[in-house]
Amino acid sequence: MSEIVQTPGLSRPLRAENAAEVLRPPSQAELMAELGLKSRPGWTSRLPPGLAAFVTNGKGMVGVIILLALILTALFAPLLTSYDPNRRAGKPHVQPGYEHVLGTTRMGKDAFTQLVYGGRVSLTVGIGAGLAAAMIGLALGISAGYFGGRTDDIITFFVNVVLVLPGLPLIIVIATMVETAGPPVIGLVLALTGWGWAARTIRTQTLALRAREFVLAAELMGEKKWRIILIEIFPNMLSFVMGGFVLGTIAAILAEAALEFIGLGDPNSVTWGTMLYWAQKNLALQSGAWWEIWPPCIAIMLTGAALVLINFAVDEITNPQLKASRKIGRIKRFLSRRGRSADVF
Amino acid sequence: MIFLLRRLAFYIGAFFLAVTFNFFIPRLMPGDPSARIIASFQGRLNESQVEAIRKSYGFTGSLWEQYVTYVGSIMRLDFGISTVQFPEPTASLLFYAATWTLVLVGLAIFFAFTIGSFMGIHAAWHRGGFFDSFFTPINVMLNAFTPAIVALLLFYAFSLQLQWFPLGRAHSTSIMPSFSFEFIGNVLYHATLPVLSIFLVSFGGWHLGMRNVMINLLNEDFVILAKAKGLSDRRVRYRYVARNAILPQITALALSIGFLLGGALVTEQVFNYPGLGKFTFTAIGSRDYSFIQGQLLLLTASVLVANLLSDIANVILDPRLRT
Repeated sequence: MSEIVQTPGLSRPLRAENAAEVLRPPSQAELMAELGLKSRPGWTSRLPPGLAAFVTNGKGMVGVIILLALILTALFAPLLTSYDPNRRAGKPHVQPGYEHVLGTTRMGKDAFTQLVYGGRVSLTVGIGAGLAAAMIGLALGISAGYFGGRTDDIITFFVNVVLVLPGLPLIIVIATMVETAGPPVIGLVLALTGWGWAARTIRTQTLALRAREFVLAAELMGEKKWRIILIEIFPNMLSFVMGGFVLGTIAAILAEAALEFIGLGDPNSVTWGTMLYWAQKNLALQSGAWWEIWPPCIAIMLTGAALVLINFAVDEITNPQLKASRKIGRIKRFLSRRGRSADVF
Repeated sequence: MIFLLRRLAFYIGAFFLAVTFNFFIPRLMPGDPSARIIASFQGRLNESQVEAIRKSYGFTGSLWEQYVTYVGSIMRLDFGISTVQFPEPTASLLFYAATWTLVLVGLAIFFAFTIGSFMGIHAAWHRGGFFDSFFTPINVMLNAFTPAIVALLLFYAFSLQLQWFPLGRAHSTSIMPSFSFEFIGNVLYHATLPVLSIFLVSFGGWHLGMRNVMINLLNEDFVILAKAKGLSDRRVRYRYVARNAILPQITALALSIGFLLGGALVTEQVFNYPGLGKFTFTAIGSRDYSFIQGQLLLLTASVLVANLLSDIANVILDPRLRT
């Protein structure tokens, strides 16, 4: 009896008279508390399993909240500020204060107004390009994986080309050739060059699914090909499409900012990237006007961080071993308290 | 061998696509580069001079003739004549600038890949522990802070405020380029901040990639068998798991070089570093098409070479590919 290792909740010394009580198996609630597990809120049981896993993921939800906050400030920009982002609103380089929350730029434009209005364009271009890239990747990836043969060879060749060609230098060439590369042009180019990863992962996943019984069953029942793709394969692909979308959006927002920062965008449009361009051009850092340069930086960083957090959640849904690995420290301690080997992990 | 030959054929095909792309883009757009030069002379040129300029840019003859001439000149590493530094051939400018970019990107990739991979190995081995649950998200988030912003932050803090590092240039003008410790030290001193900013935005990717692949491998039977045999932790960790996990990482490394080069272009702009980015920026300002196109071809070629090297490394590391 003495080798029974005690759990913290049952730390009384073992005695014959209460042995029966001690040997009572711990309740589920006690075990869950010890392993640090929480039961899911009841309302999530009505959601589809993928979505339920997403909304109960702490990291992912923090990302969603940050992103929603950014989108809402951009949407309600006219309510938050009364200035016009393109017009002079005061003296140049006014310090942040009551009149101008984030001061004014060298041109005397209100920095906060530019920030919230710029968010509209930057987020639209980023999310739009990410969505388009995910859709192209989905269409090509599924077709390549499902049809195989010649179709697969051709599509795979183009996927590899898109993956191999360096994105930013390519975009620089296109952007210099079209006279002024406004935000829509940049978004279009980013969508056309950013679908490689999504197409590759979705193709691999389709290949795996194609060999599964439910697809074979649908084929034997004589279902049409487009129906099998849409009804049988596509729903299993949602988290991968989501992953492609999130990664594509990160890449697009960062690339848009980089392109406009080096002066390839339309300098008259108001976006986070052009704000950085003007700040750098007017030597905002050197002249101490930090409020002109840091706000767009922080906005881009927040967007990036939020999307990375969302991507963590998506990763854990597509790759359940990653999620399980979070609890492994507790499980090891749980086992070693009971004197069991935890070496297999 | 067949595997490598097939890859080589693909890379040559991809390079030709880039060349073709470069050829057609200016021809699809209204107003070719030579028209800009001709316009800058404001009608002071006669017919034959106009024709000569158009010819030097390869805009005469049928489309097919133009294409053959273009491919031929690319093969001879003739990228045309720079319009910014007018009689200077673009190729010599390109190679001068590319040397400095290679210094930056090479150093940054080396540090980011080794440090990131070791962090990933550590995080995966102690998964769910403090290091994993704290540093994995933070390192990956650094990834999403575009090079432009990290470079601006470092420049502001260490060059402008603390003045620990120089405000620009690849080496002090007082030191002549030579193979001396003094010169190399000076180059490294000037490269520190640019390299650090590329490093900071890229090592998180290697950390996460290595960690995720390792975690999936740790549950494989061969790892459990290795542990059951009583092999040391070190041996299992590096010889069994990490060696397998590094294979997809090497492929990803080669693919990421294009992204890193793009990042370097922006970083150089902030630090006023005389690499491809700085020159490309000047070229964009004055619409120097031959340089802008040349940088795409040069960078494409370097990414393709890197991919070929990664394929060779994969063949060496992975016996399954040696058939």
